[in-house]
Formats: sequence, structure tokens, C-alpha cells
Amino acid sequence: MTKKTFLVSDMYCVNCAMRIESLEDSLPGVKNVSASYKKGQMTVEYDATRLTESQIVAAVKALGYTALLL
Amino acid sequence: MEQLVLAFITGLTTGGLSCLAVQGGLLAGSLARQIEQDLLAAPAGPHKGQAVKAPRPNTALPIALFLLAKLVVYTLLGALLGLLGSVLTLDPIMRAALMILIGVFMVGNALRMFNVHPIFRHFVIEPPSFITRYIRRTARRETDFFTPLFLGALTVLIPCGVTQAMMATALATGSPAGGAALMFAFTLGASPVFFLVAYLATELGARLEKYFLRFVAVVVLILGLVTVESGLNLLGSPVSFANLTARLRPAVEAAPIAAPAATRITPAATPLIPPTATTGVPKALPTPAAIPPAVAVPPAGPANTMPVLELRVLGNGYSPRVLRAPANRAISLDLVTNKTYSCARDFVIPALKYHQLLPDTGRVTVAIPPQKPGAIVRFTCSMGMYTGQIIFE
Repeated sequence: MTKKTFLVSDMYCVNCAMRIESLEDSLPGVKNVSASYKKGQMTVEYDATRLTESQIVAAVKALGYTALLL
Repeated sequence: MEQLVLAFITGLTTGGLSCLAVQGGLLAGSLARQIEQDLLAAPAGPHKGQAVKAPRPNTALPIALFLLAKLVVYTLLGALLGLLGSVLTLDPIMRAALMILIGVFMVGNALRMFNVHPIFRHFVIEPPSFITRYIRRTARRETDFFTPLFLGALTVLIPCGVTQAMMATALATGSPAGGAALMFAFTLGASPVFFLVAYLATELGARLEKYFLRFVAVVVLILGLVTVESGLNLLGSPVSFANLTARLRPAVEAAPIAAPAATRITPAATPLIPPTATTGVPKALPTPAAIPPAVAVPPAGPANTMPVLELRVLGNGYSPRVLRAPANRAISLDLVTNKTYSCARDFVIPALKYHQLLPDTGRVTVAIPPQKPGAIVRFTCSMGMYTGQIIFE
């Protein structure tokens, strides 16, 4: 499993973090997503053989947010 | 009662929208999807797709159950917070400090919503990931009557910013019944918007939150400033807006300088209360408890020189709001109520540590010790909403 942290600075409420965390239910290869509105970050634990960073960034973008790898 | 109406209106305006931003997108959306799935599964005539979009009587029930559970849980939470507040036995000074804290919290939240600076993100309480994960997964389960009830109850774990501020206000009531009533009124007020969003069964919540967040921020900012103002009034602070502006309106609201007891300034119909023979102090009515030891009147010279001021305690505040009294002499302040049921009855003089719940109809006399020329003794209701002052000159 690979664990990476992304900067998501355009979250504007706690619900945004919850929405981003829902990726762990919808994005194949993701084991765990932990997003923090206070920190403006999300940490993703995923299977690198099934998923790439750019796919994660694209999935976050589809939700209306911008993710940058830290 | 006024506080409950205010809580209801806050719920109806900002609370509903704020809850929408935090809980609506996830919970109402999940609930709506479940309802939609139910409708798709049910025999709905030849045009199944059209039937889904049409309003159905059975969609209202799960949403109503969701809101009912939310209402019950938040009411219980209010009772618990009120109980906690009663254990803490908040005196007016502590209540004032709490109100200022609540106000600062609300202003910070508003600035967070305006995205002024990331530091203001610390003004929101972020639920732990395991709680949000649990809620999210529960929301995806098959629909039954239990699920919306359970989801509604779980919203207590993810209160929005306005709800958190209201929770703090429930704590400040210092009574389980008061806290429960406050949270009930607020949650009830917040329910219509929530119901509407869930009933529409779309992603309206996610769209609306972007449009309404600014509006919510403005209202929360105003409420926060009003709360800070109330706290400052309750502290008797000269820098509150009400106290800063009080002296700008003396021509309208000032009472004449108090005269000796023999010519007391009261309406003609008010009977004169003669001073007692032993102390020269007018009788305290209706009970001696109205005058605590902290404001006991020192000997004040000849019996007929005790000035008496009359303050009418009304449903919408105090009249007059500015009184004038002679300096260096003890004065007697008569508080007159006449079918007064507002919080103005809960009378506080912060500087004298005087706090008394007045009878709804009657007269209570407060003895005020001699003050230096230019001194201002401020008074307020226990909520810091209604204010006034006595200027000594």
C-alpha cells in the first residue's frame, strides 16, 4: 500500500472533507482517505498497482476540488 | 420566550442553511437516493422514469422520521447542556464572559466562511474521521424506517457552526428545560429547509451551500457581534455599542435630576414611601431580599434628602434609559413592573453585583451607595439585551 498526502486548499467546510473521504467508497484501489478541513489536506492510502496519483487528483477534481501532491 | 422565538428564527434562516452545508449534502442526499431507489423498485405504472420525478406521498415519511429523530436528539442535547450550565451555576459575570466567548466563536466562524484566513478554520469543530466514515456507510444501507431515524440521530455528531453556537447558548441558559426548549426551537426552525432539500431529492444541497454560505456568514457575523455586545452589556462595560451611544441621546431619554424624597420623581398616582425612622432609608419593597448586602445604603444625612429615582421596567426595555442623579449621595432606585414578562425583569447592575428577578407586577427598591461626580452606574437585563445607565453629576 502507498500512502500520500495532498494539499486540498479549496475545501470550505467540514462537509467538503467528508465528501472527499467518500472517495474510499467509490474509487477502486483506495483503502483509506482521511481529509481535514482545518489542515486543508487529505491523506490517501491506496494500491499503487491499481491507481495512480493523477487518477486520484482527477477524482478529487470531479468532486469540485483541487488536489496537489505534497 | 423571546429567546425561543429568536432561536426559531435563527434556525429558520441561518440554521437550516448552515445544517444544509454540513449535513444536507451527505445525509439528505443519501436519504434521497434511498427514497429514489425505493420508488424505482416499486411498481409505478408504465412510465417508471417519470414516476420517480413526481412527488410521492411516501417520500415525506422517511424525511419526517429523519427530522423527528434529529429534533429529539438535539432537544436532549439541549437539556444536557442546560444541566451542565446549571451545575456550573453561572452568575451574571460568568454568563457575560461565556456570551463574549460564544460571540467571538460566531464571529470567527463567520470569518472562516468568508475565507478571510486559514487560521479561522480552527473555529469549527471537526468530527473525527471514524465518525464521518461510520455515518457515511450507515447512509448507504438499505432503506427502512430505522435508517432515517438513525441517521437523524447521528447528525448530533456533526453539528454545523450555527448549531454549535446555539449549543453554547443552551449551556448559558443554566437550566435543562431552558436548554432543551432552546435547541428544540432552533432545530424545529431549521427543519423546513432541510425537509425541502431532502424532498426535492437532488444534489441541491451541494449547490446551495456555495450560494448560501456567504449569506449565512453575514448573518452569523451579525449574530456574533450582537452576542458580544450583550456580553459586554452584562459586564457593564462602557465600550459596548449601547453604552457608547446612550449618552448621545440624553435630550430624548434623560430623566431630571433626582429630587429629595419629599418631592420624589414618580407619577402622581404613585404613593410616597416614607423613609424609615431609624435609618433614613426608604422602605425596600416588596421584600428585603431585593437589597443584597453589597448595596446596603450607608447613613445618608437628613432623612428627607434621600433622592428617589423611578425606572419603569417594560416589555421592551427600560424607561427612561438614561437617569441623572446627584453625586456623593446615596440614592434609591425604584424598579416598577406592570405585567412585565420580558427578560427586562431579570435586572442586573454589574458594578454593584446586584441581580434580581423582579415580580411581573410590583415595585422593588434598590439602594445605590454614593457615587463620585461623573460616575456612571449601568444596568441591564440578564441577557444583556436591554440596557440603561444612571449618570451622577
